[in-house]
Amino acid sequence: MSDKSKGLNKAREIYSNNSQRARELKAAGKKIIGYPCVYVPLELLTALDLVPYRTCGDIKEPVTEADRALPHSFCPIMRNCLDCALKGKNDFLDGMVTIHSCDPQEKTARIWESYTNYPYFHFIDMPVTVRPEALEYFKSQLNDFRKTLEAFTGKKLPKDKLEAAIKSYNQQRTLVRELYELTKPSPPRISGTEIVQVVKALTSLPVSEGNDLLTEVIGEVKSRTDVPEKKLTRLLIWSSTLDDADIMQVFEDKANVVMNESCGGIRAYRAAVKSTYDPLEGLASYYLNEITCARTFRQATPGETGKDYARDLQSRFGYLKGIIRDWKISGAVMLLVRYCDPFAFEMPSLKDYFDSIGVPSTYIEYDYTTGALAPLRTRAEAFLETISQ
Amino acid sequence: MHFAGVDIGSTMTKVVLIDKSDNQLSCIKGPTGPEHRRLANEVMRQALQQASLQIDDISYIIATGYGRLNVPFADRQITELSCHARGVSTLFPGVRTAIDIGGQDAKCMRIHDGRLISFVMNDKCAAGTGRFLEVTATALGIKLEDMGDISLKATKRIHISNLCTIFAQQEVIALLSRGEKPENIVAGLHDALASRVAALARRLGIEPDLVLTGGVAKNIGMVRAMKDSLGCEVLVPEEPLITGALGAAILAKEIYTKAVEAGQVLPTKSRRLEKATFFAEEHR
Repeated sequence: MSDKSKGLNKAREIYSNNSQRARELKAAGKKIIGYPCVYVPLELLTALDLVPYRTCGDIKEPVTEADRALPHSFCPIMRNCLDCALKGKNDFLDGMVTIHSCDPQEKTARIWESYTNYPYFHFIDMPVTVRPEALEYFKSQLNDFRKTLEAFTGKKLPKDKLEAAIKSYNQQRTLVRELYELTKPSPPRISGTEIVQVVKALTSLPVSEGNDLLTEVIGEVKSRTDVPEKKLTRLLIWSSTLDDADIMQVFEDKANVVMNESCGGIRAYRAAVKSTYDPLEGLASYYLNEITCARTFRQATPGETGKDYARDLQSRFGYLKGIIRDWKISGAVMLLVRYCDPFAFEMPSLKDYFDSIGVPSTYIEYDYTTGALAPLRTRAEAFLETISQ
Repeated sequence: MHFAGVDIGSTMTKVVLIDKSDNQLSCIKGPTGPEHRRLANEVMRQALQQASLQIDDISYIIATGYGRLNVPFADRQITELSCHARGVSTLFPGVRTAIDIGGQDAKCMRIHDGRLISFVMNDKCAAGTGRFLEVTATALGIKLEDMGDISLKATKRIHISNLCTIFAQQEVIALLSRGEKPENIVAGLHDALASRVAALARRLGIEPDLVLTGGVAKNIGMVRAMKDSLGCEVLVPEEPLITGALGAAILAKEIYTKAVEAGQVLPTKSRRLEKATFFAEEHR
């Protein structure tokens, strides 16, 4: 990475070589903790001076090593992530925090633990509903997580440091939302592909460095003259994970992707952790309730909506309506990663919801390999042709 | 004024030339193959020869299909879904649902007023595509093009339980060794493929008139099996392979005419017929 690189260039460099900074910090004596999913509360790691690093997959990497541990018909992203780990790409890690955000995460976590040998390994058992009992249980799980971190680092987690970490991450969430404000104009001031690079860079950096990067990027994007080319369609992509620039570029060759509602886009940044007397309370509530991944069962209770399907859809997907209005979305893609059951089961209902608010939508499946690019291109372009002809 | 549609499918390359009144001047089909994919210029040359035209006579060229990006002389690329929809509507103005079963994928399209309104395609695997029949024909030791006629001699229905192409091939071998007659097995294979494609179409919703295209539509046994599986009449064009290329040519005419009427000049590519080059080749 050259010293001169700033803003978007810097984000692109980090995206392309996203473990470099973690390796540098490791060499400087920091402890690096991996995490595979945005449901892991990074605030606890940061408060104890540990550096979080998201262990992403790489679509260019053919899965070979993970084959000895995982079946073929299984989440291709987790297969890919584990494959990278088994090939030693994360060998600089001092530990790993895994979480039961979905079943593939849970199954892979057990295998990850048995096939690797990090000094620290922890699994957070996360409930799948937003009931008050679930929140209580999740809070107790976060408390256990805290204790294991304290044992690993040999120091107590002071409340003020945790509060400071929450503040820093809330600032990061605010900055990402500010970045997404810049996709509201037509043409957007920043492309969906560039945002994928920025967001992936954030997950590879300590929070303070991530916030500095965001501030640089926002400043650069606000004053840039080389804005993305205006296309006929402003797309919303709804997916479990869209964290690869090549995949995003397939859509952006023919459309402006102004909203990436996935964990490679805005999903983990849309809300903020509330200030509570016990910081774990605010953290538990944020991670369980505010991140809109299909892994959480959100159907409204019968008492709220009875059997009123329209109201049920509203309670599950209503948050998208404001996005569609504010970002002037003219088409929506439900991008399914193959074998992702939680998202697959949401699709028919979400399709009905898009229909009910008059947004053309389509459903496309891909398998997180470069081989997916050509079929993806045909499906994406055909959908765009149906709405722009 | 003349227009061209070039459809580079995974198995076959098709070129259709039309005049401004939609009359087909020529229609050439050839295998795509690994080398042919970069020889779209050859198929185009044959089509021009058939129509006694020069490349400079073509006002606008649209490429479609799996290899649409590999046609250096095409002015624009449009997906095969939109092109099939347009081509089928020209031949059957009342069409509302079209199913195209090609060598590598199956597509179901809903069409309204000649335009694609929604679609669904098979997953990336070969189940539900022409490849399913190609592979199982080899296992049976019969020619792909004979399968339709052979299946008409079937005396009983055999249920093929595997939709996976590779497993179905094994199942075929097991059935043969059990003494089942090839014609009964072929009929069973048609039923299996038809039920898979019909399930795909039902996801989209089926509305008549329904038209079946693609190489598989040339197989009379498959057309019959599709009728049974869908429970409705199935229309088949005289030449089911070329609807994509025909649609591309008609869209070329429409886009060009619209631009001319609006006083615009559409950018066009060099009219030199040269083969596509790839980055890997350039660096060699």
